[in-house]
Amino acid sequence: MTFALILEQLFNGFQTGVTLFLIAAGLTLVLGIMDFVNLAHGSQVMIGAYAATVLTALTGNFYLGVLLAIPVTFLFGIVLELVIIRHLYRRDHMEQVLATFGLILFFNEAVRIGFGPGALFFNLPQSLSGFVQVMPDMPYPAFRFSVIWVGLACAILIGLFVARTRIGAMVRAGASNPEMTAALGINIRLLFRLIFAAGATFAGLAGMMLGPLTAVEPGMGEGLLILSLVVIIIGGIGSVRGAFIAAVIVGIVDTMGRVLLPVILRSFMDQAAADGAGPALASMAVYILMAVVLVFRPTGLFPPRG
Amino acid sequence: MQQIKGWFTAAPLLWLIVLLFALFPIYTTLADLPFWNDVAMRIMLLGMAAMGLNLVLGYGGMVSFGHAAFIGIGAYVTGIANFYGLDNGWIQIALALGICAVTGMIIGFLSLRTSGIYFIMITLAFAQMLYFFFVSLEQFGGDDGMVMNRSDFVFIDLWAPLSLYYMIVAALALTALLLCVLVHSRFGVTLRALKSNQSRVEAMGLNALRFRITAYMISAMICGLAGALFANWQEYVSPDIMHWTRSGELMIVIVLGGLATLAGPLLGAVVFFLLEEFLPEILAHILPAYAENWLLVFGLFLIAVVMFGRGGLIGVSQKLRARFGKGAG
Repeated sequence: MTFALILEQLFNGFQTGVTLFLIAAGLTLVLGIMDFVNLAHGSQVMIGAYAATVLTALTGNFYLGVLLAIPVTFLFGIVLELVIIRHLYRRDHMEQVLATFGLILFFNEAVRIGFGPGALFFNLPQSLSGFVQVMPDMPYPAFRFSVIWVGLACAILIGLFVARTRIGAMVRAGASNPEMTAALGINIRLLFRLIFAAGATFAGLAGMMLGPLTAVEPGMGEGLLILSLVVIIIGGIGSVRGAFIAAVIVGIVDTMGRVLLPVILRSFMDQAAADGAGPALASMAVYILMAVVLVFRPTGLFPPRG
Repeated sequence: MQQIKGWFTAAPLLWLIVLLFALFPIYTTLADLPFWNDVAMRIMLLGMAAMGLNLVLGYGGMVSFGHAAFIGIGAYVTGIANFYGLDNGWIQIALALGICAVTGMIIGFLSLRTSGIYFIMITLAFAQMLYFFFVSLEQFGGDDGMVMNRSDFVFIDLWAPLSLYYMIVAALALTALLLCVLVHSRFGVTLRALKSNQSRVEAMGLNALRFRITAYMISAMICGLAGALFANWQEYVSPDIMHWTRSGELMIVIVLGGLATLAGPLLGAVVFFLLEEFLPEILAHILPAYAENWLLVFGLFLIAVVMFGRGGLIGVSQKLRARFGKGAG
């Protein structure tokens, strides 16, 4: 286990972290402001990935495909909010969990009908399929590297938007007291719709960036959904800053755990058992982290409500 | 005597369904449909687990999104005991109940510090933790799970036709009785009171946490019993049994039937699995090309249940009866 390898895994962890943040940002705002649990947020990831794949195939250009897929996912978010989601705001959390669970089933099957049950694969453009020299003697896949940059750029954009703009101030006000915000004459319904669609777009973007790394297939967003729920709980519901910090922590713990735990286990188990148990124990580590945080800080690390 | 009669008359629908399950093999034997016995056993086991969850979710107002973990513990305790040659079914069930009680107590104690959405998520986190724990146990098959033999229940030969079936019916009836007694006891009343107003109950000098943890433990044990029997029925144990979607399934079953009703979870389980069995067939008649995609229809059905069917099947039927019953009378 060399230094370069550990550094590379740190990069991978960071890349997973920023991707998770893109999914978690929308989720935490939707839950924080609208008090709405959206399990179907993972489906937005899938829809983003499919939109980008199809549009890339149609236009023959990856960048153009992604650029066109972004408004598609935004529109999709608006329509979903109008048709289903807005009727569920006043329901309790469990009913929201069930209805959005139903949405997951619906979207997965709809995608299966439309695009077949198998996985689709992306062909990366030449400019993104090589390696970049992050440091001397440390090549790193160019695509992963650009995912980190796009993720960071989005994080800064979301952070500045929420902290510095007028609409951002409404969003923060909505997160800490929705009734009062509405009473001050802010069109909270429109605000809700825009936040929901923006969250859907960022989740879709995460899907577009994950597509080339994993596979574009029905149900691809579900594992990520659970992980991003962990992220927003650790970060404190409604806090974008908390979501970012928690996403990076979760990404690094998960990735490093996958690499380091088998090595540690090998020192006292036989290799096959260690290689089998390592990844599962790494997955456990994330949930242990969350449980520990909740036991000591029952509303997460950075709760936005005063 | 009056008391005992009360337990049964409190939930006539629940006992009717239990009775129907007990009589069901007569039909399957006469019609020669042994496959349906298997379906019935699965419905009873998941209905039983849902009844256990309903104690905390419906009556206690604690939305646990991780009860599949206890089904998994029950199943794995049975499987692992068998693996090491401890194949006495009664001891296995006792072990499963004990371990579920202890884990239920620990998880309940830690989770009940939080509330609302945080409670939903922390229970999910513990379930995921246990899920990945069992995935990591390579010697017990890891991801793939392990095949096991049915346990040895000393006086009962599980290989005799229908003996497992009636064992499950007995467990279901016991669970039903336990819940009928509990819900109408002082304990059950306190639990429901806590759901509607915690501070008032605490002002009366009762310890809220103790009641909640007890309810959590009991429901964990019921799920554990279902899991132990599930392992015997399936003759196979895998982490799949405790996937987070299973916890969602239990919640669906409860909400479908009727939250905080005695018969609701079991009724919900029957309807849920009949849909699962028949939706593909119905679709095959109407739209043969899409028979495999029945989950699409099922997803829409779920959304419709939440949007229009408040109170579940029981709630809707009561509303209908209230509306049309008056007109007739």
